[in-house]
Amino acid sequence: MPKPPSPLLELRGLSKRFGAVQALDSFGLDVQPGEFVTVVGPSGCGKSTLFNIVAGLDEPDDGGILRFKGRGCHARELLGQVSFMPQRDLLLPWRNVVDNAILANEIEGANRREARAKALSMLPEFGLAGFESQYPHQLSGGMRQRVALMRTFLFERELMLLDEPFGALDALTRSMMQRWLLDVWQRHRRTILFITHDVDEAIFLGDRVVVMTARPGAVKLMREVNLPRPRAPELLTAPEFTAIKREVLDAIEEEAMKSFISGTGAAP
Amino acid sequence: MKPAAMAALRLLGGVILAGLVWEGAVVAFGIRPHLLPRLSDILTAIAFTPGAYWAGLQRTAAETLIGFAAGTAVGILNGLVFFRAPLLRDMLLPVFIVSQTIPVIAFGALVVMWFGNTLLAKAVIAFYLTFFPVTVNTLLGLNSVDPKQVALLRSFGATPRQILLRLQLPMALPQIFVALRLGASLSLVGAIVGEWFGDNTGIGVLLLQAMYNENVEALWAAILCAALLGTAFYALVAWAERRIVFWGVEQ
Amino acid sequence: MNRRHLLAATGAAAATPFIRPAGAQTLVRASLRLKWLTQAQFAGFYVAHQKGYYRETGIDLTINPGGPNLLTENLVASGADTFGLSGGTDSVFAARERSLPIVCAGVMHQQTPFVFVARADGPIRTLADFRGKTITTWFTGANFVLLGMLAQAGLNRGDFTMQPQQVSVQPFVDRQIDVVTATRYNEFFTLMSRVGRENLRVFVPDDHGITFPRDTVIVSEQTARDRPQMVQGFLRATIRGWRDVLADNKAGVDAVMSVAPTLNRPHQEFMLVEAGKLMVAGGAARNGLFWIDRPVIQAAHDFFRQHEVIKTPLDLAAAFNSSFLEALPVADRMA
Ligand SMILES: Nc1ncnc2c1ncn2[C@@H]1O[C@H](COP(=O)(O)OP(=O)(O)O)[C@@H](O)[C@H]1O
Ligand SMILES: [Mg+2]
Repeated sequence: MPKPPSPLLELRGLSKRFGAVQALDSFGLDVQPGEFVTVVGPSGCGKSTLFNIVAGLDEPDDGGILRFKGRGCHARELLGQVSFMPQRDLLLPWRNVVDNAILANEIEGANRREARAKALSMLPEFGLAGFESQYPHQLSGGMRQRVALMRTFLFERELMLLDEPFGALDALTRSMMQRWLLDVWQRHRRTILFITHDVDEAIFLGDRVVVMTARPGAVKLMREVNLPRPRAPELLTAPEFTAIKREVLDAIEEEAMKSFISGTGAAP
Repeated sequence: MKPAAMAALRLLGGVILAGLVWEGAVVAFGIRPHLLPRLSDILTAIAFTPGAYWAGLQRTAAETLIGFAAGTAVGILNGLVFFRAPLLRDMLLPVFIVSQTIPVIAFGALVVMWFGNTLLAKAVIAFYLTFFPVTVNTLLGLNSVDPKQVALLRSFGATPRQILLRLQLPMALPQIFVALRLGASLSLVGAIVGEWFGDNTGIGVLLLQAMYNENVEALWAAILCAALLGTAFYALVAWAERRIVFWGVEQ
Repeated sequence: MNRRHLLAATGAAAATPFIRPAGAQTLVRASLRLKWLTQAQFAGFYVAHQKGYYRETGIDLTINPGGPNLLTENLVASGADTFGLSGGTDSVFAARERSLPIVCAGVMHQQTPFVFVARADGPIRTLADFRGKTITTWFTGANFVLLGMLAQAGLNRGDFTMQPQQVSVQPFVDRQIDVVTATRYNEFFTLMSRVGRENLRVFVPDDHGITFPRDTVIVSEQTARDRPQMVQGFLRATIRGWRDVLADNKAGVDAVMSVAPTLNRPHQEFMLVEAGKLMVAGGAARNGLFWIDRPVIQAAHDFFRQHEVIKTPLDLAAAFNSSFLEALPVADRMA
């Protein structure tokens, strides 16, 4: 596989231990500018840990290499450099939709009026037109998630980390959100690292799917998704799609089995 | 505006109904006046010297408000300092707790020696009863903020100060208001108790005079004034809470 | 005012009264702590204050009411208040025994102000009839007066039930107890209005040779030593106020009710009549108002010693200082 010269993010031999728990073990991954990489793996395998490191919230253990825009750095230097969306929307209940969306811009010292104007102009794109003055407790789960995504998009960084953004949504809303996200991504062209435990979602969205091993997390399978874009819902039943899905599922199955057995303590 | 007016009307109706039941019960069951006087007799007592009750109401309200405001400010400040400096918290919080075990009567006697029969002295007692719950609840509220929420703001590059002002302090508000509602009642108690240490004006003075002169109508008149003040103040705090913490207690 | 108190609390300025120029004359700020809530019992002080008698003697006086949680002796000893109208000879004894540096400069009530009251139609006709009965009284001195009276009738502790008396006299009205203690000017009024004067039988301590002068004017030893002029001035103005009140009771009640308007006027009028009688009785008839009647005080002291309320004999010459009164002409002191 010929590697393009300058990845946006390079991770090599990244490990992280919490006391007795080895969450990540020698994790490695390159992400190219503009790429949409999805990460799947059994729950508890270290996906969020990986994101926390890339977001700058946690330092990896000594020995690993972390390079961003071609420069080696500490994780903490990434604070404010990547646009991070955690698993829950974490909207602030006293801020309305617009003010929640511009939270990150406000923190980096942007002019509040300009940021608001920009957010207002983006509302229709995020399906939030007319909801600018609503408060989180007045919104549905799908809308809250879209506000959180808008906050992430408005914080204009080359790399976006989305941790199971649709995990809590019902199936119908979820598939609508997936197509919508692709649409938005295609227009804004950011680099996205996207965690999910839904294999369909991983393949449907990604340029590449990374399957992680059971804890301690490492790369089990790296699979290019060479399906044409824009992607339509019918793709989910296309044979090329199911072929990739078979491959990914096999890898996940193996890991799930491992973690199940180690979890119950039974011999193979 | 409409529902608020309706609520006010309902409240008024309730008060009038309670008054009628009171008056009727005393007359119907022939309750002796020194156990429970007729409401009309109590209102007559107030109407006889309205100036004394009005002056008392104003004075006690001023003492309560000053003490409450100071207690709130100092309590929130304490909470912030303790939150940011755990060592200071471990050193001082036990002292605060011990200070709260001093019976308010004993504390009142000290305050009178320090400040004399001044408005300030009563405000100090009201403050003494208010600042502690506000301190504790502020600290509680700040500590209960979801670490994931803090992590999110950190990922945006937020400074500790930005995290405090934009996240932790607003997030602690519901908890702080729990203490403020408590403080509204406590500060009034503090002001009234403070007036039991030799003063000329205040609801507490009227209560004491009526009690020791076995003047039952005057006693009930003073109780009504205290209830009025307490209810009004509590309602004010509750109103502010609804306005400020409009999102309710989430999570 | 509060600055003065703060300073006094730290002890830094207990000796230096706050001096403030008022027009041409220099007034000394001072405060009087009463023994109880504002009522006609203290009418003379309020009249003297409202008519400017204290100002005329160079004192800018603040009158602070007392109350159930205050001990006048403590406030005067600590410097929080300059003058005090304290409980009485008994409380002066107690304070001196605790080494509180206070001195009595005058005595307001020359006779025991409280009596013991039974029902006229009840079984109690004499002190001997107290046997087996239930009595409530104040355990702040009145209990010993009662013990002394009953001892004369041959009764000892255990021959009757003595309980602490609460705020209300209602238990007596409701016949739950047989004997109640009442000040002549306060509780007695409530009893009269609830039971009727003709239905009450009264036992007077002074009739049995026990007299406890009460309502004592006190100052700190320091004030007595450093500012005798001010103490004399205070007494002069106070007596002037009281002479006015005794001549015109209504004006006295008016003065009090202007400060505490919710008081019951008939009660206050009654109180002033009774308090006036206590003030002009005994030694005051010959030597004027606020007279310190030493033989009577000595007798009260000896009575307390006998009942071991006071553990060691007190130096009464030091505790009671008549020099401030004696500096005023007798004629000016007569009611
Ligand atoms: N801060 C922490 N302290 C201790 N253990 C942690 C911490 N964060 C994660 N872990 C542990 O590390 C493992 C991986 O967690 P995580 O990265 O959240 O998994 P997931 O793949 O489900 O997102 C889990 O066993 C989790 O309990
Ligand atoms: Mg996770």
